[in-house]
Amino acid sequence: MQSTRIRRILAVLLAVAMLAAMSSLVGCGSSDDSESSDGGEAKTETIKIGIHTSLTGGLADYGFAAQKGIELAQSELDGFEVGNTTYKIELSLKDDKGEPAESPVVAQQLIDEGVVAVIGCLTSGSTNAAQPIYEQAGIPMISGSATRADLVPRTNFFRTCVGDNIQGKALADWCVELGFMKVAIMDDRGDYAVGLADVIEENLTAAGVEVSRESGQEGDTDFSAQVANIQNFGPDAVIFTGYHREAGLLFKQCREAGMTGVQFMGGDGIKSDEIVEEAGGAANVDGTLATIGGIPQDKMAGWDAFKTAFVADAGKDPGPYAETNHDALVAIVDAIKMGESADPADIIENLKKVEVMGVIGTFGFDENGEFKAMGDSAGLATIVRYKLEGGAWVAQ
Amino acid sequence: MADKTGIMTPVRQFFSRVPRWVYVLVALGMAVSVPLFEQAGVIETLWLRVGIRSLVYVMLAMGLNVVMGETGLLNLGYVAFFAVGSYTTAILSSPRLGHHYDFWVLIVLSTVFAMAAGLLVGLPTLRLRGDYLAIVTLAFGEITRITFNNWESVTNGPGGIPQIFRPQIFGMNIDKPSEFYYLVLIFVVIVAILLTNLKASRIGRAWNALREDEIAAEHAGIHGTSLKLLSVVISAGVAGLAGCLFAYYQQFINPTYFEFLQSVLVVCMVVLGGMGSIPGVMLGAVLLDGLPEVIRQAFSKWLPEALGAETMNRLPQAVQTFFLEFDRYRMLIVGIVIVVMVIFRPEGLLPDKLWRREVHEEDPREMEKTRQKLFDFDEGHRDLEA
Repeated sequence: MQSTRIRRILAVLLAVAMLAAMSSLVGCGSSDDSESSDGGEAKTETIKIGIHTSLTGGLADYGFAAQKGIELAQSELDGFEVGNTTYKIELSLKDDKGEPAESPVVAQQLIDEGVVAVIGCLTSGSTNAAQPIYEQAGIPMISGSATRADLVPRTNFFRTCVGDNIQGKALADWCVELGFMKVAIMDDRGDYAVGLADVIEENLTAAGVEVSRESGQEGDTDFSAQVANIQNFGPDAVIFTGYHREAGLLFKQCREAGMTGVQFMGGDGIKSDEIVEEAGGAANVDGTLATIGGIPQDKMAGWDAFKTAFVADAGKDPGPYAETNHDALVAIVDAIKMGESADPADIIENLKKVEVMGVIGTFGFDENGEFKAMGDSAGLATIVRYKLEGGAWVAQ
Repeated sequence: MADKTGIMTPVRQFFSRVPRWVYVLVALGMAVSVPLFEQAGVIETLWLRVGIRSLVYVMLAMGLNVVMGETGLLNLGYVAFFAVGSYTTAILSSPRLGHHYDFWVLIVLSTVFAMAAGLLVGLPTLRLRGDYLAIVTLAFGEITRITFNNWESVTNGPGGIPQIFRPQIFGMNIDKPSEFYYLVLIFVVIVAILLTNLKASRIGRAWNALREDEIAAEHAGIHGTSLKLLSVVISAGVAGLAGCLFAYYQQFINPTYFEFLQSVLVVCMVVLGGMGSIPGVMLGAVLLDGLPEVIRQAFSKWLPEALGAETMNRLPQAVQTFFLEFDRYRMLIVGIVIVVMVIFRPEGLLPDKLWRREVHEEDPREMEKTRQKLFDFDEGHRDLEA
């Protein structure tokens, strides 16, 4: 009996010891050392900006481009002055693997670290999962690449890329301009393609155009079932909202099935030179039309300088969305300058008003947080139309 | 292999003599105290979020353990039931279709729908054994995900369902991470109690008998098919419940949450924790889900803090960036840990007694233990002495 009691006491002691050990292990607490004394003399304040992106997984190259773009912006802007305060920018880079399940944890981590604003997320799925958490903490987020239509409007979300709702409408408008009465829209069941296809369908239906929807899977090689359906429908145009590999195969198979007078169209996913080879030659895809969201790179105000700096730093050409991520940091800094405050709530308010001079040109955000070209860039179309002529894409 | 009668023996004996309820209390105490530590500012809110996700995985691992550990049926599509639960909640409690059902209704509906899905898969497939069952469940898992991906009018396809409403329980809005943590913890405890009792009941022993030798078990009067079906349905129900809580917590659901790899992850949790052992699979789930986060913090935060800024600055730039960007390498370490654990402890971290012996079948010392345990020779003897 005696020994059992001792053992029980020992066990309880052990439990307490484990609890204590755990708390000391996990509890390397965070220290906040931003100086907030209000005085007339010059002072230095460090602000932390989170980068919520994907460094591993299938979209790692996008994450790398975003990281390098933002780091370039940091090196340009570090030590900016507002009134008599010098701000030092500290970046905190976090990876969510491009998985929405990982996203809330990453968001919380950045909030715990005390960031005043977040650049991200990389994907729309991650953004959807993280946005409520940032919203609760009152932290603004600017994404350079999350384009899904249903992300706006939210109270704390802005983007420097052009949303699918705008690009989808542009594609639909183009169809109407060309006088098409029947349009077949096909997606690849992916997040991006379906979102874009939905917007196109909505706009075309509103314009009185008859629409039929088809879908394949990303990675498919045989679209004969869909081609047969499209042929039965007999459209004036076929729009593929996915990527160029499937687009090339689909358009080739449409031609082979005898659809000669049909106009092929697509979003930015198909605007790649590789589509010619994938479609088995220029003859199959000549005349294909594509739109791209955003100001074209050759018309961007700071593109050449940005490209040179990027290559010097990263050793390769800027990847997709490097410039929009770069400008996201510029926008945050401008909002801080405007309100003379690095308080997240003030940043959100001022982001709605800023006019940013970035690599992509002069821009701001509309009341929904959507990208809006302003100033010198206001005349530039934020959607560029391209046509495939003789195996090369030509801007219209 | 170290000598089993070596220096560790007294320690092992001590631990094996501590009554079980002490361990349970310690584990529960640790789990309950996490939000208190967070409130006190000792740990960051991050650990609460990691905790919530881990608890969801704990529930999934416990559920899968019913079919895999207890009944010995390999299910590679388990995440499908989780998806059914999640989507039930997401569809019926979000602005997407304008429904806003009560929390309790959805807890029940998610569980029941997942159970129905379990029945649907179980009925035609349970006559299959071993690898065939694994293939069929794998296919079922993929079919479920693809269905949710394509059933656009209801599930919004690959775009997923955002802005799921927060649950309201007895007029209280569950909103903060700590509130969610306790909510999920309460359900984990309830499920753990139910499953522990079930394991010890006639049904649980019948499952074990079926796992060990189906023909012998049927000869002893166990109705194989209906009991196996029961185990599939119960495990599906647990996954549905976990899915409901997960959807409420995450506030956003899309098909990428329910990929094949998620099923594999839960299988890994069960195998690494210890098949058939409820505390084992709980530990496996917490470790496998929490480990990446611990590694990330250890390298990019604790280590630099422990070394101090000065020491860190003296290190070469490459080493500094390596630490700060350790994010990229964390999954690599998790992979290595899994491989090492499987090699050195195939029976799992906290193995079930029966399973442990099965894994070490060829080891003469284990055989001796089995013989002794089976005939209660050793224990009976000790009881007499005492």
